[in-house]
Amino acid sequence: MKRRTFVQLLAAAPIASNVNAEEVTPKYRIVTQYKPAAAPGMPGPYPGKVISVKSAKCLSADGLKINDEVVREMMERGMRALTGDAKAVDAWRRFITPDDVVGVKVNVVGRPWVVSSHPLVAEVVRNLMAVGVKPARIYVYDRFQDQLDEVNYGPHLPEGVNYFAAERENQNLDRLNYDPATYVEADLFGEEDTRSNMLKLISRKLTKIINIPNMKDHGATGATGCLKNIAYGGFSNVARTHHKGVSHTYSFVGTLSKVEPLRSRTVLQIMDGLRGVWHGGPGARTLKYVFYPKQIWFGTDPVALDRLLLDVIDDERKRRGAISIWNRDRNTLDFINGKKRDEDPNTNIIIREPGHVEYAGKLGLGVHDIRRIKVEEIEV
Amino acid sequence: MTGAGGWRLGAGAGAPFCFQLLIGALVAGLLFAAEARRSAETAPQAPILYWTRGVETAAELKRHGIERIAVPPANLAAWRKAGFQVVAMSERELARREKLLMPRIAGRANIASATSRPWIDANGWRFVRKPAGKFYYDLTQNARNHVALAVAEAFAYKADAVLKIDPADLPSLEDAGRMIRFLRELPAANYSPIADIGVLDNGSPAMGEVMNLLTRRNLLFNIVRAPSPNFRVNIKLGTKEYPDTEASDPSEFAQKIRRQVGDENRALRIYGSETVIARLTGDGQSFRLHLLNYSGREIEGLRIRLLRVRADGGNYQAFGYGFFQPDAIVTSEGGLEFSIPKLGSYAVIDGRFAS
Repeated sequence: MKRRTFVQLLAAAPIASNVNAEEVTPKYRIVTQYKPAAAPGMPGPYPGKVISVKSAKCLSADGLKINDEVVREMMERGMRALTGDAKAVDAWRRFITPDDVVGVKVNVVGRPWVVSSHPLVAEVVRNLMAVGVKPARIYVYDRFQDQLDEVNYGPHLPEGVNYFAAERENQNLDRLNYDPATYVEADLFGEEDTRSNMLKLISRKLTKIINIPNMKDHGATGATGCLKNIAYGGFSNVARTHHKGVSHTYSFVGTLSKVEPLRSRTVLQIMDGLRGVWHGGPGARTLKYVFYPKQIWFGTDPVALDRLLLDVIDDERKRRGAISIWNRDRNTLDFINGKKRDEDPNTNIIIREPGHVEYAGKLGLGVHDIRRIKVEEIEV
Repeated sequence: MTGAGGWRLGAGAGAPFCFQLLIGALVAGLLFAAEARRSAETAPQAPILYWTRGVETAAELKRHGIERIAVPPANLAAWRKAGFQVVAMSERELARREKLLMPRIAGRANIASATSRPWIDANGWRFVRKPAGKFYYDLTQNARNHVALAVAEAFAYKADAVLKIDPADLPSLEDAGRMIRFLRELPAANYSPIADIGVLDNGSPAMGEVMNLLTRRNLLFNIVRAPSPNFRVNIKLGTKEYPDTEASDPSEFAQKIRRQVGDENRALRIYGSETVIARLTGDGQSFRLHLLNYSGREIEGLRIRLLRVRADGGNYQAFGYGFFQPDAIVTSEGGLEFSIPKLGSYAVIDGRFAS
């Protein structure tokens, strides 16, 4: 069979940036049969707008227990502030209709401490159902089944909600759940498999996606928030962007995020900042590098949220005496020594690319200029 | 020796496509005819099992479908009498053969974080380098889950290989038998290798490692005596274009070759795994693709792209799964793409080239 494709070749020229002068953008070939929506979900109706809801009461004193009731209030206040609606359900109706098939993109790689938290995900599902979406039309998803199983949202969510992972585990063995006709092709480091394919769930089933990232440091991107969660959590074969201390995340994160239908269907960004990771991310196997921002951010513009996130992570690292996420000094690099990275916050295993947020902004995914980002802060 | 990839590439990049096809078909026809005559005596067979136990174990071997064995000379007559195809082989004769690596993932090298590029112990390049060579696999230790792949690997390359397994290792014996039975049921297909690259082998260890990396990356090559216009790229170490020093980094060298060929021109591409090595053979009209999975794990949704082959009439079989229908068939830009639902250690795909 022949297929209709919309092939876009991104230029090989780098996007000018004073912090990523070394980046030479690979030649990307984007293959998809999906056209953008008239108003794509990213940056959506609120470009440059971020609602930050903070509460000192959202966590127990030791930071280990989440207060469900406080999270519920934070969610309601945040959604109302984002849209200007008096009722939360009306705010949700701006994004979701009862006929939608909704994906809830969680982040579980930071298990057990820094994941899309149970009460926050439960509150999202509760609001979806309040809008009229049946549980059977809701999919909580991430890429790896073993990680999703470990976090185990089931007991916290209504019966009938679906849980979906594309691969059994992070072993690069399973491709059946990826769409062979929707992919980004690029030769990054001479890898044989030059394609990253979109989840079939995204391309063929979901009509809307709600993105729930965390506030985390990341060894390759500097920080991982909205863009990386939706991009690297929606495509196969993405670990290939890091090799021998070098990463192509600078351009790859935004490039994946822009692929249709992912861009058009991702309509809401809710950043779970109850807990965060300031070093060693995206994992959080211990509490060693966990910190407690005690906030949730709301928006439709992933670039704006991530631009703010870069500062949150970098400020926390500075406060702890760790090198900046913008540090490109090769003397900090020990690319074959993950153990040392875990022990020493001044060791990188990859030259970080926080400029990926700016790059995504230049692709039209949102507002990067901090002067144009309007933050409304709410205290609960 | 050349193949469809060779004639396709050798007709001249600047010539009109139809002319390339015409010239290519003529060249290919002549070459394939010669190759068919040469290879008539070397129809592929599964490797032979070296078996030191006595004829009282005949029923056990037959139960596993094993009918061809190599035995110590003293046991020859008894095994023949028991109805087996038998070759006499002493331990010394076995040891004189070139020992192969146990096919598997050997570990990870040069990797800082989780990536998909494991190191693979594979023997294909040795078989290509020495088509008349005599080899053996020592599968007597920690061989579980590698025996079936060893059988398939030798078969795919038409290698004269002997399997030495621990006679007490019944699971390995069973694995060998299952693969041998699977191979025996395949349609006969005595084809020549198809390649995009010609290699002038100087016999050096460095050249061997280059061939290893080419094989590992599915950069299909044939060994040639002189540079051949049938290939887009001909590799001769020690030349200005390919100085010996470059071969000291065979990985980067293979990457250079890959860029020179161009991914879009390669007869075969594999997506969805870095642990599958392919062997593509054909006769100008038909092809057989062998897929060897070194991961030791089942792979789901492996995607294959083949240039200038027909979408219809293919025959797809996977060891452990039997016949299967390819998934998500797409033809685009001169290539056929399809996905393999489940791939164990080996699969074979027979089809026809586009006319």
